[in-house]
Amino acid sequence: MTHADIPVRAAARPAPRPLAEFIKAEKVFGNGFRALAPIDLVLPAAEITVLVGPSGCGKTTLLRMAAGLTAPTGGRLVRHTDRMSYVFQDPTLLAWRTVQANVELVAKLQKVPRELRRERASRAIDMTGLAGFEKSYPRELSGGMRMRVSLARAVTSDPELLLMDEPFAALDEFTRDKMGSELLHMWRVRGLTVMFITHSIPEAVRLGHQIAVLGTRPGHLIGVVRSPSPPSPDPDAERDEAALHEFALHITGQLGGVRA
Amino acid sequence: MTAAGTAESAVTEVRAARRPRGKKLAGVVLPPAAALVTGVVLWELITVIWSVPGYLMPSPLTMARTVKDDLPAMWTPTLVTLRESYLGFVIAGAAGVLCALVMARWRLFERGLFPYLVIVQTLPIVAIAPLFVVWLGAGPLTNTLVGAMIALFPVAASTLSGLKSTDRNLVQLYTMAGAPPRVQLLSLRLPAALPAILTGLRVAAGASVIGAIVGEFVAGVGGGQGGLGYVITESAVQLQTPQLFLAVLLASVVSLVLFTMVVIAERRLLRRWHESALPADE
Repeated sequence: MTHADIPVRAAARPAPRPLAEFIKAEKVFGNGFRALAPIDLVLPAAEITVLVGPSGCGKTTLLRMAAGLTAPTGGRLVRHTDRMSYVFQDPTLLAWRTVQANVELVAKLQKVPRELRRERASRAIDMTGLAGFEKSYPRELSGGMRMRVSLARAVTSDPELLLMDEPFAALDEFTRDKMGSELLHMWRVRGLTVMFITHSIPEAVRLGHQIAVLGTRPGHLIGVVRSPSPPSPDPDAERDEAALHEFALHITGQLGGVRA
Repeated sequence: MTAAGTAESAVTEVRAARRPRGKKLAGVVLPPAAALVTGVVLWELITVIWSVPGYLMPSPLTMARTVKDDLPAMWTPTLVTLRESYLGFVIAGAAGVLCALVMARWRLFERGLFPYLVIVQTLPIVAIAPLFVVWLGAGPLTNTLVGAMIALFPVAASTLSGLKSTDRNLVQLYTMAGAPPRVQLLSLRLPAALPAILTGLRVAAGASVIGAIVGEFVAGVGGGQGGLGYVITESAVQLQTPQLFLAVLLASVVSLVLFTMVVIAERRLLRRWHESALPADE
């Protein structure tokens, strides 16, 4: 596509290149349980895609598929990068290693040279507000701080695609908000593509450029909705709260349709 | 909530907890010390009131005399037993962890070996010890190996279960980062299994002493080189009950020494990361 072909409206927000695509991806487990009906979903590069839906709708299966931890039993997954990080609901740290060692862990396993690893780790530590805690052990930190270590570890392996499975669900609301801001900050600085699972509609609306709503039995895609006022690369940009409120109601309505 | 008076009387005030170190220590030391003194006094009273003959049950005073007279002679057998059980413990610890690592790494080995480990564990140690004497002759080597044999299973079983119960997400993290199974085993699963390994070693500490003493019962080497097991059989045969009591007491000291070693190792290794090593208050 040449520049001449780009319509005027899209020029304001260029059509994003997909970083990963689910094409009729489907999952039936060995015991015959149908976890996911065929799903088409695009993860646009440098955008945050949020998955919402009731328990058992196959969100995690979809995320694990994107991570290459489980293969689709039908259809396929096309991924344009191998640089991925996975963030779990629990911080999932090595209890016997310091914060510094935990942050460097994945990069070290990936054989990133020591100097580069150190440099990236110290940047991630600064960015997540962990400076001064490098020598602490995980159990000496609060839940929110541990989650920060988990985030710092994820970015230290320099991913293009960040896969997050309800990463802030176990935190209190205040900390959760702060962690959301951290994530947006990291997204701005590094232009990450994020796939983010949550049960919280406010969180979904705040973080998502697009929201994929899923339903159960079997897990299927109800729809993908683009945000009317997505997070902006400019941290000072105002967001259209009224439009976001409408957006949240719309998502709730779609989920409500599942329950009925 | 009813009358104001009730509400007032229900007020609980929680003051900042101040625990002077000396008071805390007293709380730990005093109760068992009091129990000991009471027990010894009761024991003395019983032997005096019913005039229990010394060969059945020596009184505390007799015991005190025995300790004074016989303790020097007990040094050598105690050290012999300590050395045997310590070596048996170390061998069992190393072999047990190694067995578990191999079994955790290759399922084939687990399927193939574990049943036999269980069988070794079910062999009555008293019955198997004479066989070791036949094979290896009477002596410290035999006693050490008998100790090692019964201490092996607790270490191997506990370590294996520790190695297999690593957090699934951590395993997933290592897999995604492309860490080969060997790295996962040594840098993730082994350290994660440390609390389980130490639990196994605690059990092994006691077991290796039992093994060594049973070995000594059977081996029957005199001249102090037979260890506490030999002293125990000899004193029993000669109805030297006070000496028998002393030997039993020293055997439990040997067990305690090994056990304490494990506890100290546990404190140092797990101090900063594991819940079990924390003071109850934190």
